[in-house]
Amino acid sequence: MDSDWDEVCRVPLPPPGIRGHPTPVSTLSFDTSQELLWAGNEYGRVSSFYGAELQQYTSFKAHKQGDGKVHQLLFNDKGVIALGSRSVHMAMRRGPPLWHIKHEDMKELRCMAFTSRGTAEILVAGEQDKMFVIDVNKGEVVKILPTEHHYKIMRRSRHICAATTGSAVHILDSVTFKVSKVWTAHAAAIHDMDAQHDFIVACGVTPRQQGYSMFSTLVHVFDLKNMVSMNPVPFPAGAAYVRMHPRMSTTSIVVSQNGQIHVVDLMNPNTSNVRQANSFTFTTIDIAPSGEAVALADGEFNIHLWGSVSKIHFAELANPVEFAQSGGPMPSLDWNDNTPLSSVGMPYYREVLLSAWPRDSVYEVGAPPTKEDTQFLATLQRRDWGLFGKNTRGVQRNQIEDTRSLDKEQSLLKAPKFLSEKARSIAHTPAGTPAPEEVVPEMSQ
Amino acid sequence: DEVNSNLMRELENGRIARLVMKLGTINERPEFDNDPSWSENGERYQLKLFRDYVFHQVDSSGHPVLDLGHMISSLNKLDAGIDERIHLASRDNQTVFVVSYKELKKMVANCFNELAKPHGKQ
Repeated sequence: MDSDWDEVCRVPLPPPGIRGHPTPVSTLSFDTSQELLWAGNEYGRVSSFYGAELQQYTSFKAHKQGDGKVHQLLFNDKGVIALGSRSVHMAMRRGPPLWHIKHEDMKELRCMAFTSRGTAEILVAGEQDKMFVIDVNKGEVVKILPTEHHYKIMRRSRHICAATTGSAVHILDSVTFKVSKVWTAHAAAIHDMDAQHDFIVACGVTPRQQGYSMFSTLVHVFDLKNMVSMNPVPFPAGAAYVRMHPRMSTTSIVVSQNGQIHVVDLMNPNTSNVRQANSFTFTTIDIAPSGEAVALADGEFNIHLWGSVSKIHFAELANPVEFAQSGGPMPSLDWNDNTPLSSVGMPYYREVLLSAWPRDSVYEVGAPPTKEDTQFLATLQRRDWGLFGKNTRGVQRNQIEDTRSLDKEQSLLKAPKFLSEKARSIAHTPAGTPAPEEVVPEMSQ
Repeated sequence: DEVNSNLMRELENGRIARLVMKLGTINERPEFDNDPSWSENGERYQLKLFRDYVFHQVDSSGHPVLDLGHMISSLNKLDAGIDERIHLASRDNQTVFVVSYKELKKMVANCFNELAKPHGKQ
């Protein structure tokens, strides 16, 4: 870590609603291809922050509120994948959803990792007896695998490394997803784990008397190249979170729960570089793919961004972030009857306009209006603005009624009336006025 | 020339009226209640937000703004489906999307075709 590293920015995670209380950050991840930092909250919402100022960019709901927190985020060139306990959601970085998978066997999902097929496929697992293989491009479950082990953290390096809910790390073959090696890293439970190139690093908690647990003062290291456990790295402050440095393959960053940051070379653990982040407790951390920024989430719902002020950047090859564009000055128009709607010109276009209606939709116009059922009207209550009551007419709301064919049927059945008969039938109608359908033809003449 | 400009005017009216009708047939249909694709994490949520963007503008103190120019130009851009991107925010400001008119146009066309499909001619 360079000597000029410091806290560059600190922003609060937005609360879940206007009057909502802030909630802790449930997961924090740097984007792999844009200058974005992503955070998930306890209610299934995912928000992104742009650049060193952590300016709020997009935000979307990945899961239903009842489905709990966002457990993990993964990125590919199309967008961001968010994992909830009962569903997997993929959205574009700009926010609109791409797909959403909900399966009845998804009950307690916790973690996911890309497989041997690059970023086109993910393996999803959790504290449940089934794992899912999902095709990311199609948004479909490809395979469901039974498993005896419950996993809570997954990272992919040359294999898929999965931390169980117990004390072991399983190394899974990234094609068959079979357990190829079990490494018991800690006596108690694993708290955080990372894997990169040739190493797995893990830190854990040890239960103590009186029921509370303590973070282990050792970071355990596993060599993936030779498949052997290495000497643990001492960390007196109690290692809570650990990440491998993405550029320096033997360097790892270890953070204690109260924010002590050590940058340690695994090959030479005695030379460490120490920093202190200021807050009470920290809940999650992540390091940017460039290695030039570290984000920490604290117990007071803030996100801290650490790095060197002059050269902080997140992604190794950053694609530009797509912001909204302002369409230039807007002409101000008057709302009056003479304002032509053509006063705002059309932009240049080459395709069929959206306002083009399908050609084959033919509807007849000019059918007589539906007759009001007097019995129905009698059930309504009267107010000075009209009548109201329940819809008891036996038709759906807004249902169309074919008044024309009704009229035709009637006229086919009845013989034409003489003028005198018409006059008589008019006299028989209750109010002495002709029914609407008898008036219409005369008016149209 | 005047006839020509009058004709243009009426053509534009018809075009915008048809577009508004299309949007009107799609939004808030009760058949879509409980349809996951219209829920807050569904793929059609942005159409609701676009309706709000066009017709429910407010000023800084929350009063409605009835800016005809904004409505017409947004509708025109939607009609043509241009690449310009806009910000769509939900009513509680918790969801923020950046969407292009091109994507919105495709979405509206899909929804409308879906409405038109199952019965065909009435």
